[in-house]
Amino acid sequence: MSPEYLGLILLVALITCIFIGFPIAFTLIILAVVFGYIGFGKVVFFLMFFQTWQIMKEETLAAVPLFIFMGHILEQAGLMERLFLSFQFILARVKGSLFLGVLFVSTIFATATGIIGASVTVMGLLAAPAMMRSRYNTALSAGVITAGGCLGILIPPSVLLVVLGPVVGVSVVQLFAAAIVPGLILSGLYFGYTFVRCQLNPDLGPPLPEEEHPESFFVVIREFFLGIVPLAVVVFAALGSIIAGLATPTEAAAMAALGALLLTALYGRLNFSMLREATLSTLATSSMVLFLAVASNIYGSVFARLGTATLITDTMLALPVSPMAMIIILMAVIFVLGWPLEWPAIVLIFVPIFLPVVEALQSDPDNPLLPGIEPQHAMVWFCTLVAVNLQTAFLSPPVAMAAYYLKGVAPEWELSDIYNGMLQFMILQVVGLLVVLFYPEVALWLPRVIFGG
Amino acid sequence: MAAENETTSPREEPPKALVMAVQIIDNVVGRGSGLLFAGLVLPMVGGLCYEVFARYLFNAPTIWAYDVTYMLYGSHFMLGAAYTLYKGSHIRTDMLYENFPLRWKGRVDATMYLVFFFPGMLFFMLAGWDEAMHAWGIGERSDASPWRPIIYPFKTVVAVAAALLIIQGVSEFLKSAYAAIKGEPLIEVEPPALRGDII
Repeated sequence: MSPEYLGLILLVALITCIFIGFPIAFTLIILAVVFGYIGFGKVVFFLMFFQTWQIMKEETLAAVPLFIFMGHILEQAGLMERLFLSFQFILARVKGSLFLGVLFVSTIFATATGIIGASVTVMGLLAAPAMMRSRYNTALSAGVITAGGCLGILIPPSVLLVVLGPVVGVSVVQLFAAAIVPGLILSGLYFGYTFVRCQLNPDLGPPLPEEEHPESFFVVIREFFLGIVPLAVVVFAALGSIIAGLATPTEAAAMAALGALLLTALYGRLNFSMLREATLSTLATSSMVLFLAVASNIYGSVFARLGTATLITDTMLALPVSPMAMIIILMAVIFVLGWPLEWPAIVLIFVPIFLPVVEALQSDPDNPLLPGIEPQHAMVWFCTLVAVNLQTAFLSPPVAMAAYYLKGVAPEWELSDIYNGMLQFMILQVVGLLVVLFYPEVALWLPRVIFGG
Repeated sequence: MAAENETTSPREEPPKALVMAVQIIDNVVGRGSGLLFAGLVLPMVGGLCYEVFARYLFNAPTIWAYDVTYMLYGSHFMLGAAYTLYKGSHIRTDMLYENFPLRWKGRVDATMYLVFFFPGMLFFMLAGWDEAMHAWGIGERSDASPWRPIIYPFKTVVAVAAALLIIQGVSEFLKSAYAAIKGEPLIEVEPPALRGDII
């Protein structure tokens, strides 16, 4: 049997084993060792160390634990409560005010952190009781909270983009710049949708009862500034310094973590046990992502060395479809994979398999994927598509984790209502995905303005 | 979970030695390594922030920040893998697994630990050990920066991480084997609430 087909069996074995439910990282390592040994002998052991070493020395990925740490610390600072309360006050007279408040807070927090599980939980804890008191529509409430929470992984700084950058071989800074506009478009779609629906049918989100209105305008202003100004400083520390080229994403992540620590100290929430819990959660989460990165890197190198990657690329390129149709096929595959798999698995295992196809499509001189666009920028666009696409996966029932997080903190809500709400926002995300797909400028405009070229 | 406990009354006491072995591993290796290595994120923050301040305020970038950062980061997540295993946070596809009864979860896990986990991690440890020995032997230094710090302690991290994973894996294997045979948990573990908490 030729090595390429051995690699195909490896892929099938992997997909089968993944579904049994054992932690994916360990499955990847043993399969890579066994198939690699059959395919090319003892070199596989050297390859295993070398691929591990590569990830361990990738300084860019040090931003992963740092951003996660920052998110866990900020969550403790109680800023979300403050912000949400102030938006609730400001919007008290507007129909669907709690929906809009959640979306505002989520969008702002998305620019501050790169994690989602935490923000769905915190937003749920904050907003769900208020929404129930005001007799808000359950499905729409759940949809707003979950969709808003998921924005955190798209709008930079985002852990997903930090991991995606080194995998694809494009600069994380470019990816950050590219994801900003699509992230805001999604956020805008959510706003528009909830606003219009509440105008058409005020029963979905009635204005708040008189006792939930603020005592005075002064209170509103004070809460708003106490809540938003410090956060804005941290956001600037993180995102601004990256985009301005003052700091690498890793340095900016560290500065942002320091900023978050200072803020938490200023709010009087910093203590030893909180710090210990935050560092422990950070350890588990970053190790989960990065150990999987090690395992996928080993697996990927065996896969490539067996020649299967080339086989798959050639087969896909031989399909009689236009470049754009090929991208749509890839997006559909990623969408389907996003259903059973979490994003680290997709980004680390499957995106590298598709990558050569996209590269080949763009470098075709006769019929390039995006005419007149640098290959590097085409990859930035592809990464943005992947990131937006994975958003949809977070909200696609019935395996979306966001639903379980929300159900955990709002047990009164039926899972079917939560799914119903998520589905509505998933459709909006598909609209967002199509916009980025057919108007690549949405992703490529900002990086060009900032970095030229 | 609750319903299962009701039907399997009255609960048989598991062997004391087994419980003790599992608890010692969980506390010393699982939780202990977590507490030990979780703190590495703090010097990472400190070092990088110092580098930024040094560069912009004192106009004197450090020679060490780059190497120190990747060494701390690499050690952090590799040595934290055992804690992550203990917390049940390594990503698994729970579409089917989630719905298995406890006994079947135990069967799947126990089998996979024996067939996949232990051999894989053993190879991983040996590969890491060989490289570390070689690096110690030649007193290898980093070629990533002009500072050229010694690199062999960092290379040893791979073997140590694999060893910690294997030890924690023994505890996980015992727990799942017990669940596979008896259909009830060996010890009460808190549910992995933060599993994949960034998804």
